[in-house]
Amino acid sequence: MLLHRVVTLVASLTLPALAQAAQTQYPLTLDNCASPLTFQHAPKSAVSIGQAGTEMLYALGLGGKLVGTSLWFNDLPAQYKAQNSKVERLADNDPSFESVIGKRPELVTVQFEWMVGPQGMVGTREQFHELKVPTYLMPSDCEGKDNLTGADGTRMQPFRVDSVYKSISQLAEIFDVQPRGEQLNNQLKSSLEKSIASLKGKDLSRTSALFWFSSADMDIDPYVAGRKGIPDFMLNTLGVRNVVQSDEEWPTVGWETLAKANPTFLVIARMDRRRFPADDVEKKLEFLRTDPVTRNMDAVKNNRIIMLDAHAMQASLRMFDGLETLASAINSHDLPK
Amino acid sequence: MTARLIFTFSACAALLLAVLAGVAIGETQIEPGVVLQVLANKLWGAGHVLDPIDEGIVWNYRLTRALVAAACGAGLATCGVVLQSLLRNPLADPYLLGISAGASTGAVLVAVLGLGAGAISLSAGAFVGAISAFALVLLLARASGPTGASAQIILAGIAGSQLFNAITAFLITKSASSEQARGIMFWLLGNLSGVRWPSVWLAVPVTLAGLAVCLWHRRALDAFTFGADSAASLGIPVRRVQLLLIGCAALVTAVMVSIVGSIGFVGLVIPHAVRLLAGTGHGRLLPASALGGALFLIAADILSRTLIKGQVIPVGVVTALVGAPVFALILVGRRHTR
Repeated sequence: MLLHRVVTLVASLTLPALAQAAQTQYPLTLDNCASPLTFQHAPKSAVSIGQAGTEMLYALGLGGKLVGTSLWFNDLPAQYKAQNSKVERLADNDPSFESVIGKRPELVTVQFEWMVGPQGMVGTREQFHELKVPTYLMPSDCEGKDNLTGADGTRMQPFRVDSVYKSISQLAEIFDVQPRGEQLNNQLKSSLEKSIASLKGKDLSRTSALFWFSSADMDIDPYVAGRKGIPDFMLNTLGVRNVVQSDEEWPTVGWETLAKANPTFLVIARMDRRRFPADDVEKKLEFLRTDPVTRNMDAVKNNRIIMLDAHAMQASLRMFDGLETLASAINSHDLPK
Repeated sequence: MTARLIFTFSACAALLLAVLAGVAIGETQIEPGVVLQVLANKLWGAGHVLDPIDEGIVWNYRLTRALVAAACGAGLATCGVVLQSLLRNPLADPYLLGISAGASTGAVLVAVLGLGAGAISLSAGAFVGAISAFALVLLLARASGPTGASAQIILAGIAGSQLFNAITAFLITKSASSEQARGIMFWLLGNLSGVRWPSVWLAVPVTLAGLAVCLWHRRALDAFTFGADSAASLGIPVRRVQLLLIGCAALVTAVMVSIVGSIGFVGLVIPHAVRLLAGTGHGRLLPASALGGALFLIAADILSRTLIKGQVIPVGVVTALVGAPVFALILVGRRHTR
């Protein structure tokens, strides 16, 4: 976390040295999720739908441009709080179309296509573009992903971390802060390398894991991470096997199947949302420890349960912190041989 | 007398076999021998040493599922018989009284609007919704015309269902995210995955009590088949019996819906199918329908868990997939026998 601040500081000190990171030439045209965007100048204001975009803009030092935020999952890291205190929170969840447009933003960053897209809760991209408000959709939610199949979309290709780097470079380009973008990406890449390196020499061939997000009702089949989404990428990156086989982003799978798969680690999501009882991480723990079947799972018996912010299970800056948390948790346990 | 004994005996045997099948077949592979050992351990304390996960799955997941499926199927089929006879309408089913529509509104209020802030479960919301909708339908029926007129009850039920369905649709389009909508859909289409022992202790007694009340009134139900007037002429207190039986059916249905969601077609199709086999006398029709419903829902639940590997299809989808063609066959068959 502190690293972010140091990097920003270093970036500002070493700006001349990074002169090779280009200045943006306007008009700038770029292709974003099959929709061309053109900017005559750097946007003077932006609204974010989704915490991932919010944090990226803060990390790029662009908090001053942000005039509205929405769709929050977890508390903000301390280093962004000063920037965030000056920005209006339009909604905890999805904002209304008009509350976004009412801010007259020159850019809207969108984390998920189900917010702004063909079946968007907030609206379609066309609706925004007709009003001359460009929408920047995170490539992580459109590249290799079909958002019209399966409730949370279905990935045709596995999630690639490059799509996160891409959104940072493109946002940096749009706002003409490319050196900062490059710096941030380098820092994320080295953080990723560090997490991988920390597990070097560990035999993970028999180590598996399960990501439990929430459940619609306490005892019912839970929402778990599928095979090609972000949690699966995190596990693959660290060399751990995901026990879930579905290609859906967050499929529901029965506890019978999950208990029989008996993963080494259980990763449970921590979130601010309180829609279902199982949103509460304590309720998840209580279920795992009291249900007559799950309490016999190896991960529960040996207390190999890892709590992770829901936002760290999404294509976001926080995913890299999540990888670090996972790696250190895996390191701190004896693994099955 | 012997015929009744044979029926009772074969009914118990069929039910036992179905429950055994439900316990032996599941999402994952567990050896039949292990399944039997688990049952021996739990029932007689046989003391076989087994994997506690296998043991838990068989005893706490699969057996409870099979028992609740049986209770639910029996309860819904019984309610279907009663409503079809009382209202003299072959299309009457347990959800006619606005119960499933009310249950969905209740569940949506909990899940989408966050009523109860995560402390109230979908089930509790659904039960309250179901009972409220039924109360409204009853009031409407009473306000709209002479008591005992079946058309009034059916029309009030339709109005109530439409109203509550509209509220549900409004809430979902207005404020549900895709995940919420999915959570509710998943639940509303009928789902036995959240079933544990407490559900068994609720579903089984409620079904048995409902069945007993209906059987107690079997002669009255026979009389109602010829209309409320002829029932009255036979000295049956029409209003009281009607209210009691409809209330009983509503309560049983509301409990089932709140445990497993609204599973369609069982309450509609099973009574018709059983009538063809057992005749229209309620002394036989009621227990035979209960048995048929129990067997049908256990089988549907097994199918729902095994049709697609690694994924559970809502059991309501399976019952409708099987139920619709069966219903069509019955309709065609009836034309030919006439």
